[in-house]
Amino acid sequence: MSLVTGTDVVKEYETGGETVRALAGIDFEVERGEFVSIVGPSGSGKSTLLNILGLLDVPTRGTVLLDGEDVSTLTTAERTDRRSETIGFVFQSFFLVPTLTARENVEVPRLLAGEPKETTRRATELLERVGLGDRLDHYPDELSGGQKQRVAIARSLVNQPDLLLADEPTGNLDRDTGDVILDEFGQICEDDDVAVVTVTHDDYVADYADRVVELIDGSIVSGADAEHSRGDRRA
Amino acid sequence: MTGVLEPLWRRVPTFLMARRNLARARTRTALAVLAIVIGVVAIASLGMFGVAFKEAQLETIGEIGSDLQVYASGEKDPAYLTDSDVQIIDRLAGDSEIVPLKQRQSRTVGEGSGGVTVYGVTDPESLYEVRRGSIPGNWRKGALIGQTFADRNDLEPGNKLELRRTVTRDGQPVEVTETYRVQAVLQDEGQAAPARPNDAVVLPVEQFDGEGYSQVIVRTDGATEANATAMAIRDEFNGREELINVFERADVSEQIDQAFAQINLFLIGIGAISLVVAGVSITNVMLMSVIERKQEIGVLRAVGYHRMDVLRIMLAEAALLGLTGAILGTAISFAVGSLINGALLGDPLAFSAEALRYAVVGFAFGVTASVVGGLYPAWKAAESEPVEALRG
Repeated sequence: MSLVTGTDVVKEYETGGETVRALAGIDFEVERGEFVSIVGPSGSGKSTLLNILGLLDVPTRGTVLLDGEDVSTLTTAERTDRRSETIGFVFQSFFLVPTLTARENVEVPRLLAGEPKETTRRATELLERVGLGDRLDHYPDELSGGQKQRVAIARSLVNQPDLLLADEPTGNLDRDTGDVILDEFGQICEDDDVAVVTVTHDDYVADYADRVVELIDGSIVSGADAEHSRGDRRA
Repeated sequence: MTGVLEPLWRRVPTFLMARRNLARARTRTALAVLAIVIGVVAIASLGMFGVAFKEAQLETIGEIGSDLQVYASGEKDPAYLTDSDVQIIDRLAGDSEIVPLKQRQSRTVGEGSGGVTVYGVTDPESLYEVRRGSIPGNWRKGALIGQTFADRNDLEPGNKLELRRTVTRDGQPVEVTETYRVQAVLQDEGQAAPARPNDAVVLPVEQFDGEGYSQVIVRTDGATEANATAMAIRDEFNGREELINVFERADVSEQIDQAFAQINLFLIGIGAISLVVAGVSITNVMLMSVIERKQEIGVLRAVGYHRMDVLRIMLAEAALLGLTGAILGTAISFAVGSLINGALLGDPLAFSAEALRYAVVGFAFGVTASVVGGLYPAWKAAESEPVEALRG
């Protein structure tokens, strides 16, 4: 069974009395341990898709199954629980908590869970794994962009997710640093059997992926000509 | 210090995050705490001031509650207490001392002439303390004067005192002037003192012509006994008509207590208003903080923090602000309170249980105002949609 299955997923927004269709009825699947890259111009609906995959948003129509469970039947609180159990997030702007150290930032998702010793042990281990073993007690403003993103990746893994969602993870990084981050994602897929879904409009990110999904105007297309029709709506 | 306590903070992660957040905007946090401090100090020290003021006033007013004043009402004929009335009162009073008094109005003579109350008493030692001079053993003439009166008229024991009054002779009002030698100057007494000597002249009862006494003071040992004696006197004299009035000091003392309670309520009200303002400032500070941290809160929600978790963190911030402010405010209140006590009661540490209660009330109000002020921002933070927060 696929980790995530979407069938005829439609997402519409009301803006200024006008209905904007961000996703126009798409079907998708994500398997465990797979590195999927969603590409497309801004406004193509890729961030919307990512939000739906991350249970931050619900589709207007259509079904999304996570581990065989229809997410539209879940309450807000249940969706929050599923997020913490199965999903990790990495953001373009890292979104680390500036008042917490690198290790504390990694601990954040488990901070309220009790067992602080275990959490600290795991956070330390993850930071060592992403090569920040010597930066445990540094605050975000003492870290470079690449280091921050690696802290964010460690944070996304602290709850041992099945699905890691990354929104433009290399968008704020230079090319070399971006490569390091993308290698990290590849490792995560292989070692932990975690599905990684990134959203990007960087073609080179797509090179790292097992599979590329191209979105234009809310629909999945394939073929190189998709690159030429850039919309200007935001997803 | 926080470094040492860090392992402790980590045990309560909600408060750890809250404290770190507060540490981020130090000035803003300090100002919010200051608002609470002012509110707590206002409540606690105004309350303490009220208590100290009351105690100071009670000291001035003097021992009250155990004295009775007995006098003839308008319906009695003759309109004064006769010797036999006094004997009956003495009998009813049991062991309590009774002081029969006469009273009239005179005027002083010479420069700054003015009215003065003249009391006639038989046993001045039981009523007064002598400050200068002495009361002769067989006191039949010569005046005792209050200290205030002595100071105002520049009189000392041995000086002559001229008093003028109007008497009726053969149906005609006639002015007479009487001269007395000042024997002693009496210590000033509190406001509730019977036959208060401060601004008065005290003469031997023999110097009063005419019969009867204007009032009898019964000095009992306590308010309960005073009340029982008052009832007995009323029963004895008053049948269908109110011939005798008995004035219980305990009534006054109750009224005074009530008046002070109202004064204190008013002061506390002012303090409470300042705490409401403090609560509003907490709301303001935290709303700003919520807006600033919108994305951060979005991340927390995304990584699995429930709305209640976010709400708890925000309320923990408000509670920390309130606790810090309340602790500082209470400490300052005690400092202010000891100044007030020093000024009004002459003893900086004269905190009564009532004053301590105001410190507790101030503390509790401070924390409550903060948490209540934090409710709306916390709710707003908890309600924000992570998708909205993380956009951009």
